[in-house]
Amino acid sequence: MLPSTLEDYLEAIFTIAGDGGRSVGSQEVVAALGTEEAAAGATVASLVREGYLEQLADDTVRLTEKGLAVASRVARKHRVLQCFLTEMLGVDADAADKEACTLEHGISDETIDRLSSYMDSAPPGHAGRCPACEICTLERETPDEAIDRSSMSDLRRPPGRARHCRGRDACTLLDCKEGDTVRVAMIRGPRRNRRLLDLGIFPGEIVQIRRKLPNHSVVVRVKGCDIAISPEIAMSIIVESCP
Amino acid sequence: MKFALIGNPSVGKSLIFNQLTGLGVEVSNYPGTTVELQRGNTCFQREMIELVDLPGIYSLDGESGEEALVRRFLEQQDTDVVIAVLSATRLERNLYLLLQVAEYGLPMVVVLNMVDEAAKQGLEIDPGPIGDLLGVEVILTAASQGKNIDRIIPAALAATRPVKVEVPYDHHIEAAIRSLGKISAADRKESIRALQGFGENPDLLEAAQTIAEEIESRHRMTVAQIIAANRHNFAHQIAGLTIKEKTLHQKTDLDGILTRVIPGIPILIGILLGMLLVVFVVGSFLEELIVELFDIFLLQPFLALGLPPIVDALGTALILALQAGLGIAFPYVFLFYIIISVLEDSGYMTRAAFLADNAMHRVGMHGGAVIPLTLAFGCNVPAIMSVRLLHSRRERIIASFLVTMVPCSARTVIIAGIVAGFVGIGAAFSVYAIVFALIVLTGLVLSRITPGEQFGMIMEMVPLRRPDTRLVMRKAWMRLSEFLFIAMPLLLVGSVVLGLLEFFGIMAIFEGFVEPYTMALLGLPGYSATALIFGILRKEMAFETLAILAGTADLGAVLSSLQLYIFAVVTVLFIPCLATITVLLREVGSRITLAVTIYTVALGLFIGGLMYRILA
Repeated sequence: MLPSTLEDYLEAIFTIAGDGGRSVGSQEVVAALGTEEAAAGATVASLVREGYLEQLADDTVRLTEKGLAVASRVARKHRVLQCFLTEMLGVDADAADKEACTLEHGISDETIDRLSSYMDSAPPGHAGRCPACEICTLERETPDEAIDRSSMSDLRRPPGRARHCRGRDACTLLDCKEGDTVRVAMIRGPRRNRRLLDLGIFPGEIVQIRRKLPNHSVVVRVKGCDIAISPEIAMSIIVESCP
Repeated sequence: MKFALIGNPSVGKSLIFNQLTGLGVEVSNYPGTTVELQRGNTCFQREMIELVDLPGIYSLDGESGEEALVRRFLEQQDTDVVIAVLSATRLERNLYLLLQVAEYGLPMVVVLNMVDEAAKQGLEIDPGPIGDLLGVEVILTAASQGKNIDRIIPAALAATRPVKVEVPYDHHIEAAIRSLGKISAADRKESIRALQGFGENPDLLEAAQTIAEEIESRHRMTVAQIIAANRHNFAHQIAGLTIKEKTLHQKTDLDGILTRVIPGIPILIGILLGMLLVVFVVGSFLEELIVELFDIFLLQPFLALGLPPIVDALGTALILALQAGLGIAFPYVFLFYIIISVLEDSGYMTRAAFLADNAMHRVGMHGGAVIPLTLAFGCNVPAIMSVRLLHSRRERIIASFLVTMVPCSARTVIIAGIVAGFVGIGAAFSVYAIVFALIVLTGLVLSRITPGEQFGMIMEMVPLRRPDTRLVMRKAWMRLSEFLFIAMPLLLVGSVVLGLLEFFGIMAIFEGFVEPYTMALLGLPGYSATALIFGILRKEMAFETLAILAGTADLGAVLSSLQLYIFAVVTVLFIPCLATITVLLREVGSRITLAVTIYTVALGLFIGGLMYRILA
């Protein structure tokens, strides 16, 4: 296993290169990582020596096959961790990005796989896609269809905001209209708001939206009782339309 | 023998408790009314039975204070029989808690309450399936009519066999229960609780945690979610068997009106303003009547007696105190309590909480905070106690500040008696406007500076009920009698002491000393400072003391309109009363209590001073 600095370099080059195939100049690497030029030169040179990078004629480098494998794995860990931190734990997006940068080097492939499958807990009929977060859709792509920076920055939106609802699935309670009857698909941050469970709002249960105020407070009917829910909690309840 | 009443909020536990023991426990129609264990005794066939009324809860696995309290109570097995009270109108959700309680394996009696309301909704209840499943006696009752309540105690005395129920859990959970049983010899209930992270045994907890993680990774649901879903589904099945026929009567749905922005919010504001207006108009009319009767039939005959000066002074002080006290108690305090009891019993408070949720978020709390804030109009003491229904310390701190600033009925007496009485009803409402503006401002500032996490609201909208006149009057009377028997003696003693101090000229010395300051700061005479200080004991004493010190109940004759207005504003804002300080200490601790006290004193003097500068 490579030291974390080296992994960071490979990840940065992988990200800058976009599809992973373009060659990258040393200036770009320095700018992305914010290191000193001399240090960057030395590190890149050692990565070339060990066969992770390929030195090209015009003083640029490109990932070798070996380098691409390491880089895409680290980049994936970063995405999964960031998704987990923001979507599941509600950590602020920037902080999650930084923290994912630290954690990605220590975490095992096995754990990342489990974390990833834990997160897409969407019930069948969902094609196994985490309904809340587009990272998971990207997750399904082959490493070749790598992610460019612009789509990564898309993910920096605070969770749940400005995320339009595609069709009638992958919505939160807030996307529903008054009178809709929907099935709860999953609850983000499942360990918070225990009372939702005790009042009968759990994955699989069918609820009816009784009232939705313009300020997004909602009343749902579940098990014959009306429950008033604040907008920020309603936002964490992901629903799908009833069959 | 010891029996405990357990059940969801608003199923009628407290009402049943009252009927069984004859004690006065407060009954309200919103979650969180009973926050402590209520104990009472009853006699049945010469046997003494202790009854415990547990707070209403939704689950035994929750995190709230009440849920933890009930959990501890059941774990200690501190009761011979559990009397589970369920509402027949919300049977399925109530059965969820019943299944959890049944897992504790204590002897049990099931009371299906509110069958009258269920019948109105076209539900036909068959107690058979629940009785067969749990092996317990099931009693159908209608507590509001007292129907079948007398059967509860005999049934509880007959229940000796521990109840046994096995909720069919998911097969992974069942497997976990078996393995935990083998590893640590834990029984079914302990295993289920350990899987959710509850319990004392560290080995069991560790093993359970490992298994729980494994299950969670396979199911992609938390163990708590799986267990809750299994219980809910089982409850659904039982409810399906119990509710025989469902001929849906289309009821007129009041919520269609009450919980929409229009006309819901105008109705909410109308109710609050109407409450104040009724208290003002009817209250001041009744007060005048009482004051006049005292003048004609007590004060004037007494003065005509021509007694020695010290007796005369003391007697006058006593009569004035009685006059002011009764003039306050019946008209204002009693009216307020009646209106608030109606609001509480009807279930309207949860609608108000829903409508105000967004506004309350702005001041750092959630909609539930409407309940303490509205209660505070009656008295700040129960309002501070109900602050517990907010989850985080941050919300409770903000609520404590705001609740103590809400003009309670005693302060309404001052506003109505002094400002509305001598300055004008418009001016009286302007005092409210000032106070409300300050409350909003304080909330905005506190929500920025108070550390801690904010939680959203998840609140059951309890069914609307027509408040029972008898219950409302009894509750209002219970609260009023607290005023009559605790506050009135204090008022009388305080007045006599004051009369004595006045007679011997001690007051004059003190007032001469403070007068330059009060005149400079607020433009008020020295004796108003004495009145303010007595206001700390009970707010209404400020009014009364002022009347005694001024030597007349007709304050308009001795003080200018501006002076009366400023005095009222300062008194309303100035320091919470002694009783409020005491509950604040218990609920939020000494530091916050001190902060609230200093803040309100400073605010009162500052606003009073400011108004004097601007208006004079």
